[in-house]
Amino acid sequence: MATESSTDFTLDTAAALAEAEQGAIEGKSPWFLAWRRLRRNYVALGFLAVFVVIVALCFLATPYAKHVAKTGPNENHLGETFTRDGKQVQIVSKGGFIGGEFVAGGIPVGPQLWHAGGRYVFGADTQGRDVAVRLLYGGQNSLKVGIGSAIICTFFAVVLALLAGYYGGGRDWVISRFFDLIWAFPVLLLAIALGTALSINGFHHFGINIEAGSLWIPTLVISFVLIPYIGRPMRGQILSLREKEFIEAANSQGASSFRVMFSELLPNIASSVLVFFTLIIASNILTEAGLSFLGAGVQPPSPSWGTLIADGQTRIATAPWLAIIPGIAIVLTVLSLNVFGDGLRDALDPRAKVRIER
Amino acid sequence: MTSRSRLPRLGALALLTAALALLAAGCGGGGDKSASGDQNAGSNEGKTYPELKVIWDAPDYMDPALAYTVAAWQINNYVYEGLLGYKHASGKEGATLVPYLAEAMPKISADGKKLSFKLREGLKYSDGTDVKASDFRASIERLFKVDSPGVGFFSNISGVSGSSGFAETKKGHISGIVTNDANRTIDITLDNPQGDILYILGTQFAAIVPAKTPASDQSTKGIPSTGPYMIQSYTPSRNFVVVRNPNYNDQIPTMPSGNPDKVVGKIITDPVAAYQQVATDKSDYDFQVVPNDRLPEAQSKYKDQLRIYTSPNTYYYALNNKLPPFNNLKARQAVQYAIDRNAIISGVYGGLGKPTQNFLPPDYPQYKKIDAYTFDLAKAKQLVQQSGTSGATVDVYGPNEDPSKSSTEYLANQLAKIGYKPKLHLLSHQVYFQTIGNQATKAQAMFTDWYQDYPHPLDWFDVLLNGNRITQTHNNNPGNVDVKSVNAEIESLKKEEEITPAVNDRWAKVDKDLMVTDSTTVPYMNRSQTDFFSTRMDMSCYSFHLLNQWDWGISCMK
Repeated sequence: MATESSTDFTLDTAAALAEAEQGAIEGKSPWFLAWRRLRRNYVALGFLAVFVVIVALCFLATPYAKHVAKTGPNENHLGETFTRDGKQVQIVSKGGFIGGEFVAGGIPVGPQLWHAGGRYVFGADTQGRDVAVRLLYGGQNSLKVGIGSAIICTFFAVVLALLAGYYGGGRDWVISRFFDLIWAFPVLLLAIALGTALSINGFHHFGINIEAGSLWIPTLVISFVLIPYIGRPMRGQILSLREKEFIEAANSQGASSFRVMFSELLPNIASSVLVFFTLIIASNILTEAGLSFLGAGVQPPSPSWGTLIADGQTRIATAPWLAIIPGIAIVLTVLSLNVFGDGLRDALDPRAKVRIER
Repeated sequence: MTSRSRLPRLGALALLTAALALLAAGCGGGGDKSASGDQNAGSNEGKTYPELKVIWDAPDYMDPALAYTVAAWQINNYVYEGLLGYKHASGKEGATLVPYLAEAMPKISADGKKLSFKLREGLKYSDGTDVKASDFRASIERLFKVDSPGVGFFSNISGVSGSSGFAETKKGHISGIVTNDANRTIDITLDNPQGDILYILGTQFAAIVPAKTPASDQSTKGIPSTGPYMIQSYTPSRNFVVVRNPNYNDQIPTMPSGNPDKVVGKIITDPVAAYQQVATDKSDYDFQVVPNDRLPEAQSKYKDQLRIYTSPNTYYYALNNKLPPFNNLKARQAVQYAIDRNAIISGVYGGLGKPTQNFLPPDYPQYKKIDAYTFDLAKAKQLVQQSGTSGATVDVYGPNEDPSKSSTEYLANQLAKIGYKPKLHLLSHQVYFQTIGNQATKAQAMFTDWYQDYPHPLDWFDVLLNGNRITQTHNNNPGNVDVKSVNAEIESLKKEEEITPAVNDRWAKVDKDLMVTDSTTVPYMNRSQTDFFSTRMDMSCYSFHLLNQWDWGISCMK
């Protein structure tokens, strides 16, 4: 991943902004102005709505599984049937040697939509598990990992950036080399290595005990490997801000370092942090999907969108829905977050460009 | 041995440990000990053709001392030969031992401890040098020098075991192997009679190579061969070329001379890619099992080019008999009832398998079908309640690649359904069997499978379920099955010199005692696999061998 943080200015920028704001910016707070800009961006708000709907659906997984699909996310139904339009249908086709002749089996039932009373809406997998139920529970896990790792990653990146940028000197050197060290590794390979190692025995050091199958493992691994991708640009902004007059003023008034960092510097990078945070959720969901696809993320039988695609790709010829449906879920989620993130960036700082690029 | 799906089993390592404590046992085995004549092998001989192009799985090694995968043995069985070998015939006849480099089956002493062989006259290696009797001893000694996975099979030969034995010192010679180059004789003395020794001498580990062969992996360098073919080149993970042995001169009349003049192998481990190569006629044979996803297509579109076979194997769930909850008979019985064998075969293996409740595969004359359990979740739950183990946490282990992964997930889910709290641990194939074979892991329920090394019940019950052979590490009995009366019966059966109907009945009882009376283990399937061919191949020549799978040496082209 490469992160670009830069600001483009033109002579016409101020005039253009004033015109865009229709001249009514006097006496308004930056947050109010940002909100006013954002609410005019219908595309960004539309995609925010898509994301909210996806999150809401995923967190309705339990009632859906209990009352509609009537099965759990890991509950197999091999050898069982269900009723469709009054007829009994095999959930996974029977196979084997029948009358001495080999019959290929193991093909799961396809998407039933609403023909089976809410069961197997998106079909079954090869173990007869309800794909819709696993999709929703998988979404929960993917979102938990994506958002959780974004929070942790952003928190540590900002704290480290503040310490490095404000203090400079030796502390800056140590923190910057730490960023460089992580940056030196290809992010996905480092995540795979850490995820694979920890998914076997978990983490049991320094009084911290995390079991092998815990969601905390992919969450922490992704948080860790992405810290420099927020930390470095934030440090750059703080290095620039600490030379400003308002910081000198705060220092001359005897404000403590803590107060300068968190009351003066942090609010000035908050808009960038917010944009980064939004964009990195999308990036983290993709990373989680990649890790889980490779077996280094969410561990079976717990579903995630990545593990669902991994399970489905071996059945792409006979049961393509197994890989396509979670793929669509990832695309929609990442697209909605990215478009909303762009809209948020335009609203918070219409003169700045902040991009997270892989 | 290592299964076709590349699941390494460390049977031989366990054998090494356990064989040191071998109790008195009898020599014998199922081979026709009096057979000495040269037998014509197969009716497809003589239909030679220039080139066979195959897609193959990655062999572990091509050096016969180190190779322990089907991918290697299936090629090497036409390259490196031993004193004995198997008849090249399909069906149960293929399990018959015949003399290869030996002139005849051995003479066995009355106490069963001494075997006397004589080499055929005029044997030559592919480089034109003579095959000597002393090469046999050197070949067995080389196994120990290269740390072969097969060393355990030979630990009962006098002078091998013990602190001053060859296995420890690797110096001098094995005293239990006496050879005479002039007379071409080989005398093997055993510490104790061993019922399966002839079968062991029929494995690739007992192949004779020149005495001067370096004691290091020669996979890529090639070793002079004694069989109809020799390895011209081998590049790991890429390809191999096998050509005719120019000095063969039909020196082993009990095996076919081979039809293809040359075999060009391309190593492709992705089953879908392998299938596509053959489906598009770019290659003639797909070693990999046709993936479940492509089976319906293969069956409808290429039915004439597809063959499905079930080699002697058993897939089973090992339950740790020493740890709660499965140290309780009712808890183990509950698992037997909770497993829907047909459903696993359909869903997980695409129908490629046959349900079983026996440990021994049906190909064996000792097999007596067990039909004690029907899938009944209610009964299983009831048994769990009665056992007082409901709610127990169970650490379930399995490999992390399909279909083994799905099979393990199925087990975990069924355990949850009957009242346990399963915790799933999926590990890489590379470390899986070592992990569950380590007592420190404390695995409670496990996926596992076994493919025969040689066709004798000892390769099943003694290696896998004899409680006397449980080890701390590299344990081939991860369920810690230890039924004293059965252990004693297995030890007793080792002494039986002949495979008679009465002996077969005793083996069948061992199977029943372990699977039903004590319900130690949950066998569920004899897995079937596929052979898939191009349209160029003449399928009327297809021959499947119980040990060496598709017999490519007697294949024909249209």
